[in-house]
Amino acid sequence: MASGLLGKKKQNGIRILLMLLPGVAVLGMFTFYPIIKMVVMSFFNWKIGFNQVSPFVGLKNYITVFSDPIAGRSLVNTLYYAAITVPVQLILGLLVALLIHKITRFSVTFRLLYYLPVITSWVVVALLFRYIFSNEGLLNYLLCDVLRIVQEPVGWLSSRWTALTATTLLGIWKGIGWNMVIFLAALQAVPKQYYEAASIDGLGSAQQFFYITIPNIKGTILFALVMLMIGAFNTYTPIAVITGGNPAHQTDVVLTWMYSQTFDSLKMGYAAALSVIITCIVAAIAILLFTVIRPQKENIQG
Amino acid sequence: MKKTFSRKRKRFDGPLAIRYLLLICGLIVMVLPMVYMISSSLRPNNMTFSYPPKIIPAVGELTLANYQYVLFSQSFLRYISNTLYVAAVSTLLAAALSSLLAYCISRFTFLGRNLLFGTIITVMLIPGLVMIVPQFELAVRLKLVDNLWGVILFYTAWIMPFSTFLIKGFVDNIPSELDEAIYIDGGSIFTVYRTVILPMASPSIAAVSIFNFLFAFEELGWSQTILRMDRLRTLPVAITQFFQAHNRTDWGYVFAMTCLSMIPVIIIYIALQRYFISGLSTGAIKG
Repeated sequence: MASGLLGKKKQNGIRILLMLLPGVAVLGMFTFYPIIKMVVMSFFNWKIGFNQVSPFVGLKNYITVFSDPIAGRSLVNTLYYAAITVPVQLILGLLVALLIHKITRFSVTFRLLYYLPVITSWVVVALLFRYIFSNEGLLNYLLCDVLRIVQEPVGWLSSRWTALTATTLLGIWKGIGWNMVIFLAALQAVPKQYYEAASIDGLGSAQQFFYITIPNIKGTILFALVMLMIGAFNTYTPIAVITGGNPAHQTDVVLTWMYSQTFDSLKMGYAAALSVIITCIVAAIAILLFTVIRPQKENIQG
Repeated sequence: MKKTFSRKRKRFDGPLAIRYLLLICGLIVMVLPMVYMISSSLRPNNMTFSYPPKIIPAVGELTLANYQYVLFSQSFLRYISNTLYVAAVSTLLAAALSSLLAYCISRFTFLGRNLLFGTIITVMLIPGLVMIVPQFELAVRLKLVDNLWGVILFYTAWIMPFSTFLIKGFVDNIPSELDEAIYIDGGSIFTVYRTVILPMASPSIAAVSIFNFLFAFEELGWSQTILRMDRLRTLPVAITQFFQAHNRTDWGYVFAMTCLSMIPVIIIYIALQRYFISGLSTGAIKG
C-alpha cells in the first residue's frame, strides 16, 4: 500500500515535470537567459560579431550611462511621460467608469467606443497623432482658425516639451478605456448595502465616494498604478513613430535611446547597462507602490 | 422594474442628464481622431496636406483609390497574413504552455515552485524591450533573424508570464474536489488538466489570448529588428516602413493601410467583447 502510494507519487512527479518542461524551456531560453546575459553584458565592452573578443570593463558602462547627458535627458523624458500619463489617465478612466456605472441606457455602447483606442495598434494611433499634430494639421487648424487661441501654428513636433506633450496626450487618450474597464469591474464588486447604509446615515455622494468607493477599490488602484507605470517605462513605439527622438535626441525616452545605442551605434555593453538601470528603477517604483498602498488597506480592513 | 422605469421617465432627471452630457463630450474626443483617420483615408492622397484640414470630406472627393493602391500595388495581403500567422501561433503556444504552468504551480508542490512563480512575477515588471540586446544576439545565433519563428518564439516568451499569472489566479479558485473525483475514477493529473482545468479556466485563457493575439498587431521594436526582409514583415513594421519610405507624406495611403489593419482587430473585439471585460476584471480584482 505504502509503496504503491510512493510509486504513484513518483509517477506524478514525472508527469508534473513533463507538463512544466515546455513552458520552462521557452521562458528559460527566451526570457530568463537573456535577462542574466543582459547583466553579464553590462560589465563588458560587448562586441556582436562571432570571433570578436569582448573585454571586461567592470563598471565602466554604468559610469558612462550616469555621466551621459542624453541618457539622463531620456530618463527625465520618461519620468515626465509617466508622471503625467499615469495619474491623468487613471483619474479620467475612473471618472468615466463612475459616470457609466450609474447609467442604464447605452452603457454598452459607451464602453465599446471608449475602449476602441485601447485595442488599436500603437503604430496606428501614433501615426494618426503625428498627422493631427503636424504644422498644418487638425490641431493647429482648430487652435488657430477655429478657436483663435494662438496666432501662429504651433510647431508641436519640432521642440522637446511640445513634442513630449503631444505624446503624453496620445498616451492618455489611448489609456482611458483600459482604466475605465478595470474600474467598472471594481465598482460593480462593491456591495450595494454599503451605499444604502451610508445614505441612511445621511452621507452625501462626495463622502460616499471617499469613505466607501475609494477604500473598496484600493486594490484595483494599486494594480492599475503598477501596470500603468510599467507601461510608461515600456514606451517605445509612440516616440519612435512620432518624433524618432528628434530633434537631436531631445525627445528620446529610455527605450528609444537604448535602441539607437544598440543598433545605430552598436554600443551593446552601454545599452545593457542602461537596461539593467531601467529594470532597477521600475522594480524600485513597483516595490515603493506596494509598500505605500498595502499597509493603508490593511488598516481599513482591521 | 418596468414600473420604476416609467416613473423615472416622466420626471426630468438632472444628474442623469449631466452624466450623459459629460459622457458624450468625452466620447467626441475619443472618437474624433478615429473618424478623422477614416475620412482622410477616403480622400485623394494628394489632398491630405491641403489646408484647412477637413474632418468630413465633401461627397465629390470621396474615393477608394488609396485602398486600391494599398491592396493591389503593395504587398498588403502578405503583411496581413504574416501578422495573422504570427498572432495565431504565438497565441496558441502561449495558451497551451501558460495553462500547463499555471495548473502545476497552482495545484502541486515541487522543488523550485516558489522560485519559478517568483521569477515569472518579476519578469512581468521588466519592460520587454530592455532585453533586446541579449535577445538579438540569441536570435542571430539561432538563425531566427528574417524568420517569422524569430518573432513567434520571442512573443510567446514575452506574453507567457502575464498569461500564467492570470490563469493561475483563476485555477486557484477552481475547487480541488473536482480533481479528487477524477482521481477516484482512476484518472491521472493529465486527465484533470484536460477535463477539469482547461474547460473551467477557459474564460481566463480566452481573455489573455485576445490580448496576446492583438500583441502581434501592435509590437514594433522587436519585429522591426528581426524582420528585415519585406516579404516577411508584419503590419506594424510594414506600415512604419511604408510611411518612412514615402517621405512621410503619403497620408492617404498610410491611413488606408491603418484602417485595413484594424479590420481583423475590430472583428475580434466585437465578437469576443465580453471576454475583454471579464478577463481583465479577474486580474484587476486579484491584483
